[in-house]
Amino acid sequence: MKKLLGIALAIALIAVSLAGCSGSSSGHEIILITDKGNIDDKSFNQGSWEGVVEFAKREGISHTYIKPEDDTNDGYLAAIDLAVQGGAKVIVTPGFLFEVPVYEAQQKYPDVKFILLDGAPHPADDFTPDIRDNVASILYAEEESGYLAGYAAVMDGMRNLGFMGGMAVPAVQAFGYGYLQGAEDAAKELGLPDGSIKVIYHYTGNFEENDTNKATASTMYQEGVEVIFACGGSVGKSVMSAAAEAGAKVIGVDVDQRYDSETVITSATKGLAPSVISVLESIYKTDSWEQYGGKTTYFNAENDGVGLPTTVIGDENADAFDRFESFTMEDYEKVFGRLKNGEISVTRSINVADPSGNATAEELTSQLNLKKVVVTTR
Amino acid sequence: MEKYIIEMINITKVFPGIVANDNITLRLKKGEIHALLGENGAGKSTLMSVLFGLYQPDGGEIRKNGEVVHINNPNDANDLGIGMVHQHFKLVEIFTVLDNIILGVEPSKMGFIQKKEAREKVLKLSEKYGLKIDPDAVIEDITVGMQQRVEILKMLYRENEILIFDEPTAVLTPQEISELLQTMRNFANEGKSILFITHKLNEIMAVADRCTVLRKGKLVGTVDVKDTTKEELSRMMVGRDVSFRVEKKEKKPGEVVLSVRNLSVPSKTHKKDAVKNVSFDIRSGEIVCIAGIDGNGQTELVGAITGLEKASGGRIFLNGKDITKATIRKRSIEGISHIPEDRHKHGLVLDYKLEENLVLQRYWQPEFQSKGFIKFDAVRKYANKLIDKFDIRSGQGPITIARSMSGGNQQKAIIAREIDKKHDLLVAVQPTRGLDVGAIEYVHKQLVETRDAGKAVLLVSFELDEVMNVSDRILVMYEGEIVGDLDPKKVTVQELGLYMSGAKRDQLKEINDAG
Amino acid sequence: MQDKNDFTRNKRFSFKQIAAKLNFSSLTSALLAILLGLIFGFFVMLFAMPANALAGFRYIAFGGFSRLGDVFYFATPILMTGLSVGFAFKMGLFNIGASGQYTMGMFFALYAGFMWDLPNGIHWIAAVLAGMVGGMLWGFIPGFFKALLNVNEVITSIMFNYIGMYLVDMWVRGSSTMYNSTITRTNYLPQSAQIPSLGITGSNVNYGIVLAILIGIILHIVLQKTTFGYELKATGYNKHAAEYAGMKGKTNIIITMMIAGALSGLGGAFMILAPSGIPGSSMTYEPVNIIAANGFNGIAVALLGNSNPIGIIFSALFISHLQRGGTLTNLVGYKPEIIDVVIAIIIYFSAFAMIMNAAIGEFIKKRIKKTDSDIIEDTTEELNVTDASNNNSKEAE
Repeated sequence: MKKLLGIALAIALIAVSLAGCSGSSSGHEIILITDKGNIDDKSFNQGSWEGVVEFAKREGISHTYIKPEDDTNDGYLAAIDLAVQGGAKVIVTPGFLFEVPVYEAQQKYPDVKFILLDGAPHPADDFTPDIRDNVASILYAEEESGYLAGYAAVMDGMRNLGFMGGMAVPAVQAFGYGYLQGAEDAAKELGLPDGSIKVIYHYTGNFEENDTNKATASTMYQEGVEVIFACGGSVGKSVMSAAAEAGAKVIGVDVDQRYDSETVITSATKGLAPSVISVLESIYKTDSWEQYGGKTTYFNAENDGVGLPTTVIGDENADAFDRFESFTMEDYEKVFGRLKNGEISVTRSINVADPSGNATAEELTSQLNLKKVVVTTR
Repeated sequence: MEKYIIEMINITKVFPGIVANDNITLRLKKGEIHALLGENGAGKSTLMSVLFGLYQPDGGEIRKNGEVVHINNPNDANDLGIGMVHQHFKLVEIFTVLDNIILGVEPSKMGFIQKKEAREKVLKLSEKYGLKIDPDAVIEDITVGMQQRVEILKMLYRENEILIFDEPTAVLTPQEISELLQTMRNFANEGKSILFITHKLNEIMAVADRCTVLRKGKLVGTVDVKDTTKEELSRMMVGRDVSFRVEKKEKKPGEVVLSVRNLSVPSKTHKKDAVKNVSFDIRSGEIVCIAGIDGNGQTELVGAITGLEKASGGRIFLNGKDITKATIRKRSIEGISHIPEDRHKHGLVLDYKLEENLVLQRYWQPEFQSKGFIKFDAVRKYANKLIDKFDIRSGQGPITIARSMSGGNQQKAIIAREIDKKHDLLVAVQPTRGLDVGAIEYVHKQLVETRDAGKAVLLVSFELDEVMNVSDRILVMYEGEIVGDLDPKKVTVQELGLYMSGAKRDQLKEINDAG
Repeated sequence: MQDKNDFTRNKRFSFKQIAAKLNFSSLTSALLAILLGLIFGFFVMLFAMPANALAGFRYIAFGGFSRLGDVFYFATPILMTGLSVGFAFKMGLFNIGASGQYTMGMFFALYAGFMWDLPNGIHWIAAVLAGMVGGMLWGFIPGFFKALLNVNEVITSIMFNYIGMYLVDMWVRGSSTMYNSTITRTNYLPQSAQIPSLGITGSNVNYGIVLAILIGIILHIVLQKTTFGYELKATGYNKHAAEYAGMKGKTNIIITMMIAGALSGLGGAFMILAPSGIPGSSMTYEPVNIIAANGFNGIAVALLGNSNPIGIIFSALFISHLQRGGTLTNLVGYKPEIIDVVIAIIIYFSAFAMIMNAAIGEFIKKRIKKTDSDIIEDTTEELNVTDASNNNSKEAE
């Protein structure tokens, strides 16, 4: 017994001493904290992480990411604590879930710079943003991105559209509203009669890839829907597999999803990586942090923060619009230019009665001023 | 000098704290049946395990046909032609008989088993030795006797010529035992050599040529069976004289304690009732024995009386109270003590300490419990009392884990618990199964003492000796009915056998006037 | 009857037996098991990133000590689900439904937290009790089916994991008081419904862990000292013997499953009612149709704790300790995925080694004592033989 314990202790001691003399942690200067899900979520985490990696690799800055132990405000704050402890000078927090934690952290760590994507810091019990100088709050004009997607689909000749959002959170809603408005405007431009565009509008209530979502999408396709704007994290995967079976099309979201499936004709992207890079450049290259720090910056068409993808990764000469029937890069640039110079303005939010945020067809039609487009919700 | 096929010379095997085999020499002649006799723990099984390659001896050597051999594992033993029928069969329950027999030595061509060949060989062996089997039956569906025949066929199939039988008769009915002994005789006549581990003297006298006796790891001696007697063998085995007669006074029957009226109990294996319309009484101060061949409804009858099984008809009265529908706990309180047939399944919680097992029926009584908490000091005291009174031996006294106790002492613990508990009726089912002579003597004494203390005893036994010696009245069960109510003083063993086999039955006087 | 010196022999042997048993007491084997697990974990880290393996391993093995508050905080829910699984296991029931009971308990606690307006100091207690009731209800159902209809509790409780989770998610989403669609999770609970913090800076550790440990100790006492525990363990070891002894098997099954459910439910309540370090905030639940992982982690905790409540307390703390340390390895560049793998390996090997402790004990004993003598056999064997040698009975086996 004693012998045994002795041996166990000895091994433990050796382990400790070995560990003790190993080098101290090197530290990482830029640290990204994932919200939920993983770094390869084909969405927020991945988009912003790609920006971090691109910039940091180019500039030779140490970087890593941390997965919080707990998907709560406290868990996120703890991850921020850990990042600071790990030597972070810049912390990238993708997603509105970080609003409260970053609000706490901006006071706790005044010397650390935070890049909060898709949100603005505010206290837990008060939704008024309170942005300190060390925080860059980045928001995206999802409605513009959605607008471009809806516009392109109708211009390409489609008349039956579908929308499958995840949960009815502001970002998803904005995509959806923009999508409807884009479709309306394209129909007007084409001189189509009232009611000639049909849109089935649906929130799945989750951000999952599951059989229910796939079945919903399949049903839509069977009913004649030509393309579904899949707007909710992994919901997209369900829609893509339904589309593959039905031989129909999908519009992706957040990042360019053309690489995930042949069915994806285009994606309503947020310029996650470009915006992260822009802010990082202001810190490391142009020394102009005050351009972003202490306020909310909208990334929209004006500063190329949203849009449809115009290039194909890995092939400079490829046409990013090759999956459309007739809609071309040229057409896109025209409408994008109109967004950019403010000729078109897109409504971002409407009043919705349901606490879950699910708008009725009536609410959508009246508040978004839809005439050519007939919306059915389900 | 005679030729020996196997010689184990000066074998010593030491386990921590105990010399299991101390310099033991055993010589087996070709074509003989050699009995290995000894009490539990005498070292019989260890010695055979050494021969079969399960243990390595610490000293001594093994020779086959005069040449020294090393047996490192059962495969080596098999290569030397040594086969063993274990006390607990080593069969794959969900395989068929044939699959079990050929397991490990499947004849195959290009990886495909050639079952047809194997089947022919097995059927030939089965016919030759009169070992009736159904090659396609699944092991879990067949009787213990047939399972044993499968084990024997396994050895024959492997063409073993030295056959070890480890307590082969412990699980068999009288008929099966006599069949087995005849089979062993046939093997010997054919030139196969047999080592027969047992503690049943009758069997040795009936079948063995020579007998080696071990006691406490030491060799007592080897004798020719024809020159010896049962008494001498038992003296060699136990080290003292053992009485084969149960000493008891005349019975003095008193009031009726248990009365069973028109009882029927459904069977679990078939659709008919296992117990059919049975009625009888048991009075205080008498031992009534249910005799019969296993499987004639005894288990179900006892189940219905003790509450483990539900009756489908009829009624049971204990001291005049109807307990037909009472819970087991209620029956226990009303005065039934039960020494169950299967002490591992029902009688003990093997992972509990001895003391915890000793209060298994009584832990909830105020003596041992207060406000839901068990009074462990009271339990310990009580356990120590029982341990002293009933001479229960174990490694660590009351805190010994029941699993680590020997079978005999496990049985003693159950008997102590059931007899010491307040009761009017003691139901004892095969209380001596698997015990050696010393322990059997002890159990019988306890049963008689219980009777003499004015309790009623219901004994279920398959051993004719026990039935004849212990009981005051014999009820013979055949196919779920009671076919005889006999007085052991007036009936012969042969007659009893006729009743048990259904060849004879009495018109019993009707006691159907259900009270 | 018996030789005179037999008795003394007996005595001497039993000392040896005791010594032999103590040689591999459960504590030593647990420590060995953990050591073995750590060594394997280290190899994986070495494989993943050789340069930082030592630094990373140091974090995993010792990093938790620098975050004791968090170790205790995160141990709370898995301790409760571990107790739940372990307790049911003592009766031979495999409560794989801890997850559903946990979720149900969490929902009941949430409901009490949002819907009941109670004074400070009472509100959280009421919410915790509500959580207990919720879990109890969800444990009762499989117990009831098992006892009365003999439906395997594993099947029922797996199904009720899903039923519970979908119901809770539906109920949560359907209530505008509880659910906040803009953040896709529950609203912040009022301060009065949050369990008081233990006041350790930088950690949410709260009275939940104190209660959890207390409950573990109480369970230990129930199992060891009460007639109920006696019956429960007897049934778990040998249900035929329990029936023979007149124990009420069916009632006990239902009670056991209700207690197991209550324990998991408390786990869910402790999780959701934990105090937030951020003013105005609280723990939140996100109804995304995912079965609570803490329920399944409870199985690992119970396994590592050998289903013994005291053991489970330590195994929950140990697993939490590894996880907290594991998070720190982010600092030396280990990706979270690798850390999950390493922790899983450590737990797996530890649990495996616990199960195999007899074999491993023997193995090590052999190596260490090689010179002593070659009289090594496993303990039970030894007991059998020794015991058999000094009694006049015949063994049954």
